[in-house]
Amino acid sequence: MGAPVDLFAAASAEGAWTVGEVTRRARAVIEAGLPPLWVRGEIAGFKAWRSGHWYFSLRDTSAQLRCVMFAKQNFRLPTPADGMQVFVFARPSLYEEKGEFQLTVMELLSTEQGGLWKLAFEKAKAALTKDGLLDPARKRRLPLFPNRIAVVTSPDGAALRDIQAVIARRWPVAELIVVPAQVQGAKAESSLCSALNRISRLLVDVVVVARGGGSVEDLWAFNSERVARAVAAMPMPVISAVGHETDVTLCDLVADLRAATPSAAAEAATPDRAEVLAQCGVLGQRLARALRIASRHVVERLDRTGDRLVRCMENRLEKSGALLTAHSARLDALSPLRVLGRGYAVARDTDGRVLKRVAQLPTGKEFRLRVTDGEVNGRVQ
Amino acid sequence: MAEFSKQLERLEAIVRRLESEELDLDEALKLFEEGVERLRAAREQLAQAELKVKKVLEIESPS
Repeated sequence: MGAPVDLFAAASAEGAWTVGEVTRRARAVIEAGLPPLWVRGEIAGFKAWRSGHWYFSLRDTSAQLRCVMFAKQNFRLPTPADGMQVFVFARPSLYEEKGEFQLTVMELLSTEQGGLWKLAFEKAKAALTKDGLLDPARKRRLPLFPNRIAVVTSPDGAALRDIQAVIARRWPVAELIVVPAQVQGAKAESSLCSALNRISRLLVDVVVVARGGGSVEDLWAFNSERVARAVAAMPMPVISAVGHETDVTLCDLVADLRAATPSAAAEAATPDRAEVLAQCGVLGQRLARALRIASRHVVERLDRTGDRLVRCMENRLEKSGALLTAHSARLDALSPLRVLGRGYAVARDTDGRVLKRVAQLPTGKEFRLRVTDGEVNGRVQ
Repeated sequence: MAEFSKQLERLEAIVRRLESEELDLDEALKLFEEGVERLRAAREQLAQAELKVKKVLEIESPS
């Protein structure tokens, strides 16, 4: 038997530990004894907070561990789901405020083949497929001569410079509308969605979504289901130039056309000015030729009409000529000159009226007498 | 200025009409004149040397 314990003294303010002291000591013991380590388990009770922090448990058949993964660690990751088998690299610690043992997760990988990325990609792809958004029949034709081209990309990236240079060379006829967006980082997803949303309300003929080089992980925003749906909902065709040769993103799959590079996207979006100029030349020639042909019909008709007119006049003149000859023969036979030639004379008054009767010739009347070779004046006596 | 595509579409329609139909000279001339005007405008647009670039500022969407 040991010495009797003075319960009162042991429980006095001086003898007892405070809660804070215990948790602090326990935390120190845990952190010293358990350095950061890899843990394998199944995700349960996953919850993403508005702050971006993730809270979940890792469990196996016999136990579970509380886990937290802060936004600054998880922003590049697709969101995991309950039931997923994962590896986490985490720092064991004690959350003093709640007195809870927990893991602060710094890395999270899926144990499935291809990792968490692949899983999230396939899940989102399946959802998009189910809604028919990956149907090739949905793909729209690009406009031949775009008037306004919008570009969603990082405002200071090489992608924008490349696109601008290509469009300036090939098709300066268009207006280029640059809508800057964050293409990587925690805000990339919502930034891309809001940029697309803005463009959908503008009068734009075609949209290029582009991103320069970067690691595969940096592509995550373009594999977001939200961004993919925003692309699919655009009222005008979208060209995507975000993936790599080997990594096709969801954005690429949903877009109306996928281009290998931002420059290729700009080329696909525009016609070549020189070619269009040549096309205009051909149209000009056809225009001139068509007018020549159209006017030829008219000229031919005019020619035909003119010929007929001339022929007609000639005919009539010919006929008139013959008639004239006949008439003049008859006229000649009836001519008074012939009668005068036979010795007759015609008397006319000074007004030219023929004087045929005695009554017309009173004494003193002046008259003119026409004989065969001339005229003489006379007076009745 | 009219959209380039509309300009070209109209021009093509004019050429086709002139080519395919027997129009009276008056109408043909009228179409021809319009075609020449459209062609001139299209060429003028193509001759434009500088690309117009407009930046639209991003507005954060409330998340």
